[in-house]
Amino acid sequence: MASAGIEEIRSWILSRHPERDDVAPDENLIESRLVDSLSFVELVYAIEGASGVEIDFDNIDIRDFQTLSSIEKAFFAAV
Amino acid sequence: MEAVSYTAQWTAAARALESERTGDAMFEDPFARALAAPRGFELLDKYGGGGLIPFIAIRTRYFDDSVDTVLRDGDVRQVVLVAAGMDTRAFRLTWPAGTTVYEIDHEALMEEKRARLSRLGGRAAVERVEVKADLARDWLPALKRAGFDPARPTLWIAEGLMFFLTEEQVVHLLRTLGSASAPGSWLAVDFVSKALLRSPFSQSFLKGLKEDGTPWLFGTDEPEDFLAASGWKVRDLREPGDPGAGEGRWPYEVQPRDRRGVARSWLVRAEYAGS
Repeated sequence: MASAGIEEIRSWILSRHPERDDVAPDENLIESRLVDSLSFVELVYAIEGASGVEIDFDNIDIRDFQTLSSIEKAFFAAV
Repeated sequence: MEAVSYTAQWTAAARALESERTGDAMFEDPFARALAAPRGFELLDKYGGGGLIPFIAIRTRYFDDSVDTVLRDGDVRQVVLVAAGMDTRAFRLTWPAGTTVYEIDHEALMEEKRARLSRLGGRAAVERVEVKADLARDWLPALKRAGFDPARPTLWIAEGLMFFLTEEQVVHLLRTLGSASAPGSWLAVDFVSKALLRSPFSQSFLKGLKEDGTPWLFGTDEPEDFLAASGWKVRDLREPGDPGAGEGRWPYEVQPRDRRGVARSWLVRAEYAGS
C-alpha cells in the first residue's frame, strides 16, 4: 500500500493537471511533462513538506524524481 | 536561415498564440503568425514545456511596457533592437514623434522579415532603420553608419538573447552597449538563473536546444551585481508572475528570492551609470 506521503505528492501533481485522473506509479513525470524545470522546485518543496526530509539542491539525483515509485523509494521508504 | 533565426520563429509562434487569445491577450502582434513560418510552431511544440509559451508572452509585454515607460519618462528617442529577430514593435507600438528604431540582425533574417512584412502590408509606425550586421563581430560601426548617434540617449532592447551567449560574450556586449550610451541611456534585458541551466529537469529541453545548434549557455542568480559590473544599474527587476509581469497568467508559484536552486527568469530595466 502506498504511504500517505506519496499520496500527497500524487494529489499535488493531479492538482496541477486537472485534465488527469491519475498518475501511475511508474509513469515518467518528466517525459510526460507532468513536472518540468519550473514546477520541479515546487515538487521538491512538496516532497520536503510531506516527508520532513531536507533536499539538497546541489546534489539532486534526477533518478529519484522520475516516477512516483522512485520518489517513494527515495523519500518515503518505511523505516 | 541560420539556427538562431529558428529561435526567432518560435518566439513569433508564441506571440501569435498570445495575440489570438480572446479577452486576456497581453498584446496583439498581428504579424506574428506569418513571421513564425516555417518552423516556429513545430519548434514551440518540441520545446514548449517549462512555461516557455506564457514566458515569451509575459516577456514581450514587459519589453513593450519598458519602451512605453522609458520613452514617456525621459528624453530617449533612439531605440536599438539588438538581435531584433521577428520583433514587430516598430509596427505595432505607439511611438513619440521624432523616435528612430534601429533593428540589428543578420542579413538573411532582415531580408526575410522585410519580405514577409511587406507582403502583409505592414507599415512601420516610427522611423525604422534596418542594420544588417553579425552580432558576433564588431557591429557598432554599422549601427553608426546607419545614423545612430552615441551622443544621444538610447534605449537598448536585448530580448531573448543573453542565454545564447557565453558569459564572456555577455560581458563584452554589455560593455559595448555602455560604450555607446550617452547619459540617460537604458537597457531592457532578460536572463535566466544559473539554476535553470543546472536543474536536472531542464536537461531534456537544454539538450534539444543544443542538438539544434542553439545551446543556452549563460545564466545568473545575481542580475543586479552582474549588470553593475558592466556599468548598468538595475532600476526594475521582476520575475514572471510578479505584479507588472504577467501576474495571474503565470502557471507557477513565484518563489521567494532566497530560495536556492530555483529555475528563474529575470526581466530587467537598467540605466547606464558609467563604468
